[in-house]
Amino acid sequence: MTIRNRIQAAIFAVLLSAVTAVSTLAADRPDATIIKNPQCGCCESYADYLRENGFKVTVKASHDLTLMKREMGVPDDFAGCHTMVLDKYVVEGHVPVSAIDKLLAERPDIKGISLPGMPQGSPGMSGTKTAPFTVYQFGQGPAKVFTVE
Amino acid sequence: MKNTFNNGLSRRSFLAAAGAAAGVAAVPAWAAPSLPLRQIDLAAAPGATHLVDSDGTKTKVWSYNGRVPGPEIRIRQGERLRVAVRNGLTEETTVHWHGLRVPHAMDGVPHLTQKPIAPGETFVYEFDAPDAGTYWYHPHQRSFEQVGRGLYGPLIIEETNPPQVDRDVTWVLDDWRLLIDAQISEDFGNRHDMSHAGRIGNTVTVNGRITDMFEARAGERIRLRLINAANARIFGLEFDGHTPWVIAYDGQPVDPHQVTGRLDIGPAMRIDLILDLTGDPGDAFAVRDTFYSRLKYRLLNVVYGPKRLRDKPMRKVAALPDNTMPEPDLASAERHHIAFGGGMMGGMAMAKMGGREVGMMEMMRNGKAWTVNGVAATGHVMDPILTLARNRSYILALDNQTAWYHPIHLHGHSFRVISRNGEPTRHKEWQDTVMMAPREQVEIAFVADNPGGWMFHCHILEHQAGGMMGVIQVT
Repeated sequence: MTIRNRIQAAIFAVLLSAVTAVSTLAADRPDATIIKNPQCGCCESYADYLRENGFKVTVKASHDLTLMKREMGVPDDFAGCHTMVLDKYVVEGHVPVSAIDKLLAERPDIKGISLPGMPQGSPGMSGTKTAPFTVYQFGQGPAKVFTVE
Repeated sequence: MKNTFNNGLSRRSFLAAAGAAAGVAAVPAWAAPSLPLRQIDLAAAPGATHLVDSDGTKTKVWSYNGRVPGPEIRIRQGERLRVAVRNGLTEETTVHWHGLRVPHAMDGVPHLTQKPIAPGETFVYEFDAPDAGTYWYHPHQRSFEQVGRGLYGPLIIEETNPPQVDRDVTWVLDDWRLLIDAQISEDFGNRHDMSHAGRIGNTVTVNGRITDMFEARAGERIRLRLINAANARIFGLEFDGHTPWVIAYDGQPVDPHQVTGRLDIGPAMRIDLILDLTGDPGDAFAVRDTFYSRLKYRLLNVVYGPKRLRDKPMRKVAALPDNTMPEPDLASAERHHIAFGGGMMGGMAMAKMGGREVGMMEMMRNGKAWTVNGVAATGHVMDPILTLARNRSYILALDNQTAWYHPIHLHGHSFRVISRNGEPTRHKEWQDTVMMAPREQVEIAFVADNPGGWMFHCHILEHQAGGMMGVIQVT
């Protein structure tokens, strides 16, 4: 194996398979791939939440989340604890299904959306909601509010 | 492939260096007889090395004496070591002699034990090596980047009568976050790594090189010294079809016991193994790292050569001779509770940072994510979390209130690990870095016999930089 292949294999194996998932469009909602830190538990809870809401979700573990986020154009301030690839979009953090549905219905020309800061009471997180969730969009001009849930 | 496992400064060349030095500094006739002084020069500087293959692309690193790992320093127990460290970096540095019980002024912690070494300057460390064992050296200044770029090396203190083995082998384990061009990703200290598991790389090296194969001989007995020099990766090693004996943790002798399952070794920790190669000529077996459940991989293959070294493998494994730590008196020991908090999924609401109460999000914006007793450290100098009376015995109850692993390192001392989650440990092992599992409670015991203010911190270097650090003062 050449050195280039070797590093590529290590870094991008997960990313490439995540991108592959995009091509299998389901009738209702596209398949989702969540890439997470291998030791993170709340990302699994978020995956369960999506499944309960009709998504087909694949969860992959990686040590290269920060590299992938950069590759996918996620600004540091909007990086969630996990990254989800869905259709042509990146969804960062514990974003509610209602915001994802809005994204899939409107199909804006952006890279993705994010609910930063892992707020209490958000899907997959413990606690109760104490304030509205502000979901941001990024990838077209400066990041701005996408929706408030 | 050539054997890349013996890149250390050999004892022979070291003796030659020491001999040359002895010619300069003559020992006065009236001086008490003592073991010789060993001298070495270390230069920390940017360089480039073949991490991924032997003749292709080089990776830009920071290293000691132009290589990764730095030279293996090997001296005998009781000898005195003098190391002149020249700083060829463009930022300040120090060298910490991890695990060695050195005097406070030689401990290499910036501002706490010394003025950091400025670019172009040299600092001379000099201390006795009281205890035999496997140790390592690394900077303590911005260590999350300096160690992460390759500044570290093995430090071996030999027993006066070492156990009989065919080979004494050191594997310094590390991982690197490399980009497609084999260069180090520059995202040191990013918020995600800091608040989660630390900077875990995508390329694992043994002695500074991606390693496919390690050659062995049937019947051979190897003393394998494992050193985890990674910023954050925990290694969980399995030796397929072989059952090595653990003879030391963190350099300190332990009752020899066989490894049957996974052998976990957290950042900064060391394990000495006796590995008997019980296979036949031509055999091969894998050493695998299975710590992260969905990310298991083969570290390397051990391949038996065509010849048999001996017909019957050696049978007995003797305990190493005791080191010199005083035994803590548990009956009279004073007990203190130390809580470790923060991180993602930790449920921490508020923390103290720079003397004021802040919320988790504000803490994160200021580059902090972790606490010791509710305080996120903002530098190496701070009010002690504990002040201990010299030569008294202490039990520290370490309480991991986070959802993450933390290898906790105490400077200047070794301690016995006496219980985990209320259950006494089987071996009461001596360590200087104890790994706490998520939500685990661990009790350690020691005699506070080394005066000074000592670092007490998580050795996931992003957690340390993120505030999981304190000072324990010994009067």
